[in-house]
Amino acid sequence: MPKVKKKRVGFVIDMTPLVDITFLLLTFFMFTAKFKTQAENEQKFFIERPKASADTSKLPEVNLATIKIAFTDSTRQDTSYYFEMLNQDNFQKIKANTPDLTQEQIQSAQIKADLFTLEKLVREVYRLDYATGSLDTKFAIDADQDLPFDWVNNAMDVLRGNNYTTFNYVTDKKQ
Amino acid sequence: MAGGGGSLGGGEKPKRGKHNSRKKKKRVGFHLDMTPLVDITFLLLTFFMFTTTMATPQIMKMAVPPERDIEVIVQESKLFTIFVDDNERIFWFPKNDELIPTDVKEIKKLAIENNLRNDVRNELITALKVSPQASYGLIVKILDELNIAEGEITKELIKDGLVRERKFSLTKLSEVDYKKIEEQAPPVEEKEN
Repeated sequence: MPKVKKKRVGFVIDMTPLVDITFLLLTFFMFTAKFKTQAENEQKFFIERPKASADTSKLPEVNLATIKIAFTDSTRQDTSYYFEMLNQDNFQKIKANTPDLTQEQIQSAQIKADLFTLEKLVREVYRLDYATGSLDTKFAIDADQDLPFDWVNNAMDVLRGNNYTTFNYVTDKKQ
Repeated sequence: MAGGGGSLGGGEKPKRGKHNSRKKKKRVGFHLDMTPLVDITFLLLTFFMFTTTMATPQIMKMAVPPERDIEVIVQESKLFTIFVDDNERIFWFPKNDELIPTDVKEIKKLAIENNLRNDVRNELITALKVSPQASYGLIVKILDELNIAEGEITKELIKDGLVRERKFSLTKLSEVDYKKIEEQAPPVEEKEN
């Protein structure tokens, strides 16, 4: 017996629950999203951060100045310091105040520097902080875990020499 | 609602009288085509999902003494010294001038034991002396162990009504320290690969 097929002229799916969930996820991701800064966008190296046990402490989100120390090539031979700041107004001032910066360094959001230049930059940060009457700038050292400690120690000495005696190491959570 | 509803609405009663065009149609619910909405929402959702990074880095606080040329003299018994040498071997001093090899996992236990010693309760200074050649990752590991130990030390001291004062220093190995390691440490074994 042949069945009589109903002629379908299209069908309707109730999409409301789907939309509900999608919106929920969308708002969640929108609120948690943090966009790359210009400095991160320029960054051409990857830092394998040292692992530390879980902690609730997070990087400060204002007036942070980061000294990054990283291997600059894939063979992990060359190392360099990088300096960046979150407060762009101050960063511009410091770039303007620091003597002998190359044009390339002035234009980049992440200054590639040797220890000598780093020292000059940190000194300008301190001068600016001192002029405004507050030591607002928080420093963080973000270094690769395979680096010899010497590199980090030199950066620490630079900070210490410019009255920044407390700072942070950037780490990753131990899995 | 003149002519409103179109194919969506219900009733199709015939017109009656002048005001019929104003008469409300009886609605039994309506359908909204949500497809474009879903399209856009999914697009945004995928965008935000791919651009977010969930694992934000955490920080470890560090403090160094300010630059002053004042010599501070401390009793050696009040020092808890940890050495990390060029080959990333770790040593500590239980007594004067006696070097004992240890490793990262032992440090937490050692730190707690030494800090709670009765003669130096809450007065011990932890001195981490590091070779410039040692890797930064190892130093952070040691610092991490010391930080974990700190929690337990604080807990124990609170029982005695003491407020924990942490004294800590992180320096490079000095000439003297190198000599000590050379004299006392066993020769470096060839690394197996």
